[in-house]
Amino acid sequence: MLTVLRGGHIVDPATKQDAIGDVWFKDGRIVAPPAHNKGDVEIDVSGHVVMAGAIDIHSHIAGGNVNTARLLLPELHRAVRARLVGTPLSTAKWSTYETGRLYAQMGFTTVVEPAMAPHHALQTHLELNDVPIIDKGALTVLGNDDFLLRMMRQGASASAINDYVALTVSNTHSLGLKCINPGGCESFKENMRSFGLDDVVPFYGVTSRQIFQLLQKSTQAVGVPHPLHLHMNNLGIAGNIDTALQTIDAAEGLPLHLAHVQFYAYGVEGKHGFSSASARFAEKINANPNVSVDVGQVMFSDTVTISSDVLKQFNSLSGAIPKKGAIFDGDANGGGVVPYAYKISNYYNAIQWAAGLELFLLIQNPEQVYFTTDHPNGGPFTAYPDLFALLMNADLRAQMMARLPAEVLEHTTLPSISREYTFYEIAQMSRSGAAKLFGFKDRGQLGVGAIADIAIYKPGKDIAAMFRRAAYVFKDGERVVRDGNVTHYKRGKTLHLSPSYDKNIHQRLDAYYAELYGLPRTIFNVSEAALPKENAFAEVACRN
Amino acid sequence: MSKATLEGKPISLEEAYRKAAEILSGANFPLIAGLGADIAGARSAILLAERIRGAFDHLASQEILADLDVMRSFSMFTTTPNEARVRADCFLFVGPGLTKLWPSMLERLAPDQAPRHGAQAGAPRKIFWLGPEASESAGVGAISLNAPVNEINGLLAQLRATLGGRPITTEAARATPLISEIAQALKAAHFGVVVWSASAGLDTLAIEMLQGIVADLNVTTRCTGVPIGARAGAAGVTQAAGWMTGFPPRTAFGRGYPEHDAWRFEARRLVESGEADAALWISAYDGEPPPWVRADLSLITLAPAGKEPDRGLYIEVGQPGVTHDAVEYAQEIAAMTLRKANQPTQSPSVGVVIDAILAEISEASWC
Repeated sequence: MLTVLRGGHIVDPATKQDAIGDVWFKDGRIVAPPAHNKGDVEIDVSGHVVMAGAIDIHSHIAGGNVNTARLLLPELHRAVRARLVGTPLSTAKWSTYETGRLYAQMGFTTVVEPAMAPHHALQTHLELNDVPIIDKGALTVLGNDDFLLRMMRQGASASAINDYVALTVSNTHSLGLKCINPGGCESFKENMRSFGLDDVVPFYGVTSRQIFQLLQKSTQAVGVPHPLHLHMNNLGIAGNIDTALQTIDAAEGLPLHLAHVQFYAYGVEGKHGFSSASARFAEKINANPNVSVDVGQVMFSDTVTISSDVLKQFNSLSGAIPKKGAIFDGDANGGGVVPYAYKISNYYNAIQWAAGLELFLLIQNPEQVYFTTDHPNGGPFTAYPDLFALLMNADLRAQMMARLPAEVLEHTTLPSISREYTFYEIAQMSRSGAAKLFGFKDRGQLGVGAIADIAIYKPGKDIAAMFRRAAYVFKDGERVVRDGNVTHYKRGKTLHLSPSYDKNIHQRLDAYYAELYGLPRTIFNVSEAALPKENAFAEVACRN
Repeated sequence: MSKATLEGKPISLEEAYRKAAEILSGANFPLIAGLGADIAGARSAILLAERIRGAFDHLASQEILADLDVMRSFSMFTTTPNEARVRADCFLFVGPGLTKLWPSMLERLAPDQAPRHGAQAGAPRKIFWLGPEASESAGVGAISLNAPVNEINGLLAQLRATLGGRPITTEAARATPLISEIAQALKAAHFGVVVWSASAGLDTLAIEMLQGIVADLNVTTRCTGVPIGARAGAAGVTQAAGWMTGFPPRTAFGRGYPEHDAWRFEARRLVESGEADAALWISAYDGEPPPWVRADLSLITLAPAGKEPDRGLYIEVGQPGVTHDAVEYAQEIAAMTLRKANQPTQSPSVGVVIDAILAEISEASWC
């Protein structure tokens, strides 16, 4: 069936469109306009903005640590209303089902869970499977795992490391690698309470710098499109801007993605010894086009921090609001879950809020900076519409700034920034750039041949309202949202890579698991047969 | 061939599914209980509970919630059996019968072998056990403090007080000198690991005290825990309930959205009070019967061959990981795994049966 969306304002940076036009699709794909110019279905979207479905590159939506947060905080997600027909569990707050519904309502059609532990990959995939409508993906966490650190200690060849990386990505069905406080979580097991870029991991004799540089190179070598996704050392600590700047230097020009950088944009100025260092940070990023970042914007709310940076989460536990948490020393990274409340009246939280916005507004290339809140760490993903509104409207920012503790404004450059994002820039950040960052050729754009994932918004004075409830959303050409409501579920896919490697590593790993753990390695497998339905996965091509 | 019976008389599976759907959709407040199932079974059961606006509970909820209540009101430190195996230099086992609750515990944790990782690698471990069964030992060199389960709370309190340098009555200290030794060993350990199970009879206060000990120790050194999960797929069902509804079992959909209340939605209370008027009892692992006595309850039972109840509707199901492949939360890795059937039969899984019942009731299941 040929469908045409007539007369909308098409905002599609991938095809450089920013004008009134029509979008045609058929059998789930965008197609060229036919000569007869007549659709089987014609939808008038004049007065609307038409974009590709949005892509969220970093949002903790599935896996054991996320589920621990659900079970830890029943009081934080009481449901309040019954669901609509055809959408089971869609109003069960924090459920995978609600996650799919809420993303779809905002016009998001692809979301990446950024922290899948190799030994818990099956649970992550079971949870992702139960997120309806949208397509999903995940990044596999390495960098605190014994097998890698042991290879480094032994001086293993680059090709052996590459085989391990490729096998891990392939076996866990992921989109690439995340590295979380490399070496720091292992060191916490050795009772270290802080861990910097050049600290040495006890027992292995390697530094954080060496670990991430190795994985950065290996990610490139095995053809993973997404650069190494790095959660740096010293998250959340005053003065950690130095760590961030040194890390960018240590990337040595190779592609690197830095996660939730707002949490590293801190100087030590002012009477609290805590200030925004975003201006320096943004300058550095502008000068290093090999580096991309997502922000991890703080939005004032009650939330929960979920991280595989166990060392950091342990240190945060004493400041938990409410006072409880879960600390899990996993086979490699593990995880920590610590509830927290960001308050506009709190000096530190207000600095965090300002520092995040500065990064968005001072980094010049919208395809180098992404809009996460590091859901749920800085705030829930449902705050994205409010975040987009803040980026697009300087007056709105000024109104918010007026509510901050006055001294905050002395330690941020935010009041001096007048930039306002355009729709086109929002689309670069949330569509075209995000697709490029993960090597997606079939989404994040409305070019002919792309998947017909389309979000249509009705602009108004209230930008947040516009983005919160899309007028229409099409997933694979099927209408799933009308006037901000999900009309029914469909099954999305979980996207993954299959990089190739020398199969001889199987023997080495089998022997390793048998000798150290007394277990067959296959016990950790992600088998398609373990998932409720067939065809849960869709493969994304590696580079080369 | 699988079988189904109604009041002891054979009926076809199709008839059984129809009848089950009729009972559940005709009830004022249906209950899905037992829930002894794999992940697929739990998933289908929770989707059914949502559809019929009923409640769901697991037969081992009391044990599940003993651990969970400590986490959600205090805090919880845990690790994996693998990490305990390779890193622990001091083990403290707590409670009787742990080797029955987790038959491969000693093989998996290998307390008799030296740790492999960290500064402690190669040095023999210290091993203590508070209140084992008379026949239980953690192996050569392990030191047991024999005590009945009802004294464990007091011993843990004494241990925490000793660790914190707080005063203890001299009688208590004289009666249990070993507590000081355990305290010293845990304090000196690089990576202490406590192993416990609510199924051993430990209550919430004992588990909280144990986690308090762990939290206190982490101020200066590292210490963490390995919980042993409850029977009949409890840990996996809790995980599935968590991602599907946000809540553990003892959750209901009476208002069309999930509400969790450990008292209101306890299966036995719902049945015995008369609030629930129909129940689907699922016990696929071993056919454990319901804990209630009530003859006028409309009852549907899903249990393996040979476990047919003497009344109501019965549908035979396979045993997860035995007669059919099943995803479960595996105690030995503290993670999900796919267990291959070792004695495959044609008996349908809980998931297959419930999906068939759901198909008789509802808008098509979405997945």
